[in-house]
Amino acid sequence: MINSLRYIFLAATLSLAITGCNKSQKSEGSEGDSGKKLVVGATMLSMQNEFIVNVSDEMEAKAKALGVELITVDAERSALKQVEQVESFIAQGVDAIIMNPCEVEASSPAIKLAMDANIPIINVNSETSAKPTAFVGSDDTESARIAMKYLAEKLGGKGNVLIMHGFMGQAAQIKRDNGAKEILKANPGMKLLAEQTGEWDRAKAMSLMENWIQSYGSKINAVFAHNDEMGMGAVKALEAAGLKEKVIVISVDAIPDALQSVKRGALNATIFQNAQEQGSKAIEIAVKAAKKEKFEKQVLIPFQLVTKENVEQYLK
Amino acid sequence: MDKSFRFKSFGQYGIFLAFALICLVLAFSTPRFFTVPNLMIIGTQVSINALLAFGVTFVIITGGIDLSLGSMVAVAGVTAAMFAHPDTYPLLVPLLAGLGAGLFFGAFNGFVITKSKVPPFIVTLGTMTIGRGLALILSKGRPVSNLSDSFNFIGGGNVFGIPFPIIILIIAFIICSIILNKTVLGRYMYAVGGNEPAARASGISVTNVKMWVYTLCGVLSAVGGILLTSRITTGQPNAGAGFELDAIAAAIIGGTSTSGGTGTMTGTLIGALLIGVISNSLDLLNVTSYYQQVVMGIIIIGAVVLDGMGKKDR
Repeated sequence: MINSLRYIFLAATLSLAITGCNKSQKSEGSEGDSGKKLVVGATMLSMQNEFIVNVSDEMEAKAKALGVELITVDAERSALKQVEQVESFIAQGVDAIIMNPCEVEASSPAIKLAMDANIPIINVNSETSAKPTAFVGSDDTESARIAMKYLAEKLGGKGNVLIMHGFMGQAAQIKRDNGAKEILKANPGMKLLAEQTGEWDRAKAMSLMENWIQSYGSKINAVFAHNDEMGMGAVKALEAAGLKEKVIVISVDAIPDALQSVKRGALNATIFQNAQEQGSKAIEIAVKAAKKEKFEKQVLIPFQLVTKENVEQYLK
Repeated sequence: MDKSFRFKSFGQYGIFLAFALICLVLAFSTPRFFTVPNLMIIGTQVSINALLAFGVTFVIITGGIDLSLGSMVAVAGVTAAMFAHPDTYPLLVPLLAGLGAGLFFGAFNGFVITKSKVPPFIVTLGTMTIGRGLALILSKGRPVSNLSDSFNFIGGGNVFGIPFPIIILIIAFIICSIILNKTVLGRYMYAVGGNEPAARASGISVTNVKMWVYTLCGVLSAVGGILLTSRITTGQPNAGAGFELDAIAAAIIGGTSTSGGTGTMTGTLIGALLIGVISNSLDLLNVTSYYQQVVMGIIIIGAVVLDGMGKKDR
């Protein structure tokens, strides 16, 4: 008796918890004039990532403006989970799916599933090896080219550079590496002193930079970090060692912290990836595709270099 | 008799010898290694892991385990950061808030473990996820930035040329060693881990001892979390993921037996230093971190094998 009571209690709390969570994930769209409201399902890489949250917020706002119901779920960096989420979107019969892929290969099956079910699927921010209905994002290779060109220009084409990689093997890391190496090759005066992964993490990058300062010291002229978190870590370590004045640091993403740092002249530059534009374009195209209207198959949103001179316009 | 003595002593002191040997090799292979600034950096980098490892050493000695360390780091770090914006509260407020969060969380672990009789592995696996979620809820999923200079001093400042994290590390080491070696509580920890039924039969309140160790572990994790937040000058909800494994590794490398009843704070400190020294020197030598992970794995297994050899012949 007590046991069955316990189970009932457990079941009750669990179902309460589940329904409670579900509610918060559905965004309320205003009623569309066509009678039946369009439903778009979105699965995002990770809601613990500030940039992705920005993309997601903008999608929500745009969906509301267009009178579309948007269901957003968090894949928590697991491609398997992401594929399952797309499966459940298909089962729910959504009109379009937006996927912010976790992995190039492992998230690809989701594309095929949606295609087979005749539901348009739009990749936002990063790519999969399988070709989706449309892609909205920015070319990561380009961000690294911009960064390394900036360093080359600042150093007059000559100097020692350190590169902090993102998580090895992820699409963003591979592409940013390709872009960086391309520019290094074009500038033979620029020497790659060392490269190592900081795993996108500020604390790890800080330790790495401290260790690099120990081995290379005043030989270091510039640092390119694959994201701002690591760039900020490098800046902290350099400041603590009294070397920041001599070393140029650039990183990618333009997160609020990095913009503040650029403003006070610590981080030399960051590269702005337009989350707002990515989010709103993704919804726009999803809606067009669902209504079988004409849409662009690929929307590339350009990166922008942010330095002390133009940082004000990016600070909200 | 002679043989067993040899093995036992190697099991106990092997880690010190191994550590000394590795340092010696590194000193010869990279001249940067044995410089004062580099040693300071190693000390700073090791401090957070060592604090967590001290906490988990208490837990493992009683025969338990705590997987929620990393999440407690995040909860405490985010909580502290929320009160650490410049010109809001005096420095003591974020510190107490962070420590309070860790204390509460650790006590919650202890409470559930002692009341429910569910194995600590499962309970703390659950609280690991709960803690991560709490950190995300508290921070609304975003890093908490813009912290006061006085708060940032904790992880980034120097006192007489010594980085502040190292000073915290030394103080924590002394306090933890005293608790473990000089107090009744410490002796009870060994007793509970060595033979729980016997400890209970001899009148020790096993429940109390367990409440204490998990709470201590929570508080030490909170100190680690505050230190981390201050060092990187933001409270990040996803900080500390995987820290529990490094902390447990440090304790095990330092000779703490996972079956409970044995372990020392000095051993754990050396374990943490060993992990830090290896990761520092591989960076100095510009070796990719992939190899670092392989090396670390070999050391962990090696340490447990040594530990087992000591036991078998006792």
